[in-house]
Amino acid sequence: MASGHAEHPGNPALVTAEDVTKDLLGKHEGTSNNFWRVASVFGILLILGIIGFVMRLSDGVSDTAVWGYYAAMFAFILTTAQSAPMVAIAPRIAKAHWRRPISRVAELWTVVGLFNLLLFIPMLWILPPLSDGRRSLWFYFDGGDVPSYSPHIWSTLAILGLVVIGVALLWMSALPDFAMVRDHAPDGWKKRWATRLARGWIGSSAQWNMQKHRLGILGAFYFMMLIFVHFLISVDFLITLVPGWVDSLFPITHAANGLQAGVATVLLTIWALYKFGGYKDYIAFDQIWALGKLLFALSLLWFWFWFSSFNIFWYGGKPEEQAIIELLMSGPYRWAFFGVFFFNFLFPMWTMMWNPLRRSTWGPPIIAASVLIGTFLDRIRLYVSAYSIDGIGNPAINKHVVVEIPETIYPSLADIFIMLGALGGMVFIFLMATRLIPIVNIWEQRELKLYEIHKTFHRTVVKVLGKPD
Amino acid sequence: MQDHIQLDQKQINDDLLAGVLGMPKWWLPAVLFLTLVVFAGLGSFGYMMNKGLGVTGLNRPVMWGFFIVNFVFWIGISHAGIMISAILRLTQAEWRRPVTRAAEVMTVFSLMAALHTPLFHVGRPWREMWVFPYDFARGVWPNVRSPFVWDPSAVGTYLIASSLFVFIALIPDLAVIRDRAVNPLVKKIYGTMCLGWRGTPRQWKLQAVAGILLSALVLPVFVSVHSIVSWDFAVLIGVEGWHSTIFAPYFIIGAIHSGVSAVAMLMALSVWLWGLDKYLRPDHFDAIGRLLIVVATTWFFFFFLEWVFALYTLEGVEISLRELQVFQWPYGMLFLIFLATAFFIPVPMWMFKSVRRSAFWMFFTTLLVNVGMWLERFLIIIPGLVRRQPFTFDWGTYHPSIIEILIVAETFAFVALGMLLFSKFFPLIPIFDIKEGMVVRDEIKIGRRIVPATIRE
Repeated sequence: MASGHAEHPGNPALVTAEDVTKDLLGKHEGTSNNFWRVASVFGILLILGIIGFVMRLSDGVSDTAVWGYYAAMFAFILTTAQSAPMVAIAPRIAKAHWRRPISRVAELWTVVGLFNLLLFIPMLWILPPLSDGRRSLWFYFDGGDVPSYSPHIWSTLAILGLVVIGVALLWMSALPDFAMVRDHAPDGWKKRWATRLARGWIGSSAQWNMQKHRLGILGAFYFMMLIFVHFLISVDFLITLVPGWVDSLFPITHAANGLQAGVATVLLTIWALYKFGGYKDYIAFDQIWALGKLLFALSLLWFWFWFSSFNIFWYGGKPEEQAIIELLMSGPYRWAFFGVFFFNFLFPMWTMMWNPLRRSTWGPPIIAASVLIGTFLDRIRLYVSAYSIDGIGNPAINKHVVVEIPETIYPSLADIFIMLGALGGMVFIFLMATRLIPIVNIWEQRELKLYEIHKTFHRTVVKVLGKPD
Repeated sequence: MQDHIQLDQKQINDDLLAGVLGMPKWWLPAVLFLTLVVFAGLGSFGYMMNKGLGVTGLNRPVMWGFFIVNFVFWIGISHAGIMISAILRLTQAEWRRPVTRAAEVMTVFSLMAALHTPLFHVGRPWREMWVFPYDFARGVWPNVRSPFVWDPSAVGTYLIASSLFVFIALIPDLAVIRDRAVNPLVKKIYGTMCLGWRGTPRQWKLQAVAGILLSALVLPVFVSVHSIVSWDFAVLIGVEGWHSTIFAPYFIIGAIHSGVSAVAMLMALSVWLWGLDKYLRPDHFDAIGRLLIVVATTWFFFFFLEWVFALYTLEGVEISLRELQVFQWPYGMLFLIFLATAFFIPVPMWMFKSVRRSAFWMFFTTLLVNVGMWLERFLIIIPGLVRRQPFTFDWGTYHPSIIEILIVAETFAFVALGMLLFSKFFPLIPIFDIKEGMVVRDEIKIGRRIVPATIRE
């Protein structure tokens, strides 16, 4: 039996659970001027994005080619912000204690799903109906008519489901923290909102059991829904637009890129919190290194998926496969392809293999930034090229092979504004959400005080971690 | 791990070395029976070499049959050792401790079994070395762009790495046997094998580092092996149903599904045959059951995608192949058995805690999985070849001969025999790992509850 509960490893002053609560609520209450300066910059970018969207809309939605960058940004947010909650879900299911200081950061990204849901609405007009005769997931045998708007309907329902489950997960996770804000915060809008959102939480055994149970179920559903959305978007909004592109592995590659970029997003966020947010007592190197290792593994996984597809196309050498290689890799978007190859695979692999770099505070965030740049380029390479295929929506065009590889489409001013606006909107909404919900999970930190002790073992002091069933 | 039993070091030594220093009554008859089956298989192989491949059921256009199905199956089983050992070791999963050795050893023997069948399949095994690019004398070079050439290199590397993996983890246990052996010759042999192990801090550190390094280095090999096996099929464009980008990951997740299932079977057998129920607790079966739910569901998603994209093409030849697999005798019946046994019976059963915690039910369900996964490989390979040619007069069929059945049975007996022989000379559960688990185990009192805990460095 272990002997007593030790002091908090980060700060000797944080001995009891009450100390932790007080400290974290204090940090949540205070907002520095720097925070508002940063939020303003991203808010301005969001406004630029809205201007860009209006400029783009003035050209109409019939020419899919000009909407490629818009589609790429929608896919980028799906791949990064909406995949980030997996960093909270998976370790929580595995009962890994290192997730505790960062699980809220990961879950908070789910609110960006609401923003992406808005971005998705115009996509329903951009994507042509199936009446052009292209291949689709939504086929009928025996020559029956294919419902023309099946992709639109099912993808909308799936994305809506993902966003609803994500917000429900965040709310369920934050329930005890809302109650703490309700009980401790001074009168004001935060207290009013926390009181409403806490839904009468008093921390009874029944409430804790319910919360634990529902967190598990919502997490599992979020994961399944995320994979399903990646599947639908990558097929209905990408593969089917390119004649002859038959790649059964691609939906998984798309999702694996999502997990990779989701980890990179959370890693970069917690590094910013560690460096500038005043949370050094909670977010330690342990979290940064653990995510670094995960990022390394996921980068290798993504590459293996990509290579498995590429190898089959390369060896098959059929005309439609050669056209796909040219369109997506060696042709007009090779600059993006080589960028993806470097930022998403070569750079993470060769740097993360090196222990001194992986076990540093600067290494993992730089590599995470590299992965996000690579993912950004990858979405451009895939979506801009697919949306630029001549004759999307035209039944007269050959639907079994890309006959003519289109020219590179470089971003116009409207596209640049849209890209800046999407990135700005993503961060701005995240920052605003942190004003309402504590960015470090208070109840999970309190729980850690119960499960983690330090004791003397022979001549050394060791950490003892409890793992309840 | 709530139902843990704390044991002292002497009792661990006594329990885990019982099979090595003594001999269970059933052991010798079992070894004799398995040896008989192995010789029957080898005899069939000799007969086949004498008469030619005509004694098998292979004929145009189905030139890949039971041998190749069996090859893919055993390569799949071989993925269990690394999955259980390397990945769970790197993630510090405590429940791995009593399971790793058996899984690693099964990897080695199943790889050997896998290597049997292509050797037999080529018909002229004495020319097997032609796959290696060495032929300076005659100037006849194998095509290094072919996955058939990559296969032996990948499988060979995996076999060496896995054997090394087993050996490194065995060293401290070999020293325990050396110290307990009475016979001077036995003492000498184990003393030589344990490389002078005395259990100094430096030796422990080196052994731990070697284990972690091997775990990390063997993972890419593990991935490459089944990827390459899948590319034996997928790089071809001449056979419908094979040219699919998903094959490499689909084969690997399928391999993990069947391999981890085989480990669960081994766990149940260890409890029944060697009475190791103090070490393999219901919690261990529960943990592997949970892992299997995740693995099986992932595998099913890959299977679903493979089918969706086959139908997505809406190409007549592809659709007719799928109709053959699902609706025509005997493939349709086999397809139903495959789906039921690989997924629809075991996974819903694993949802129940009582099933996951029962050695019997875990053995039964995982046996079903392996029946299903063997059929899966059969259904991938044979129907595609049956309709390979465009004209109906070139279509064929396939009936395995008794020779092929005996050789397949030989591979199963070979692996079982290998495991039994290994268990006679080495402990099937790593002694040092179990002892370490007992030392790092702790408890924390929270209110009125005692929570299991682990010491972390």
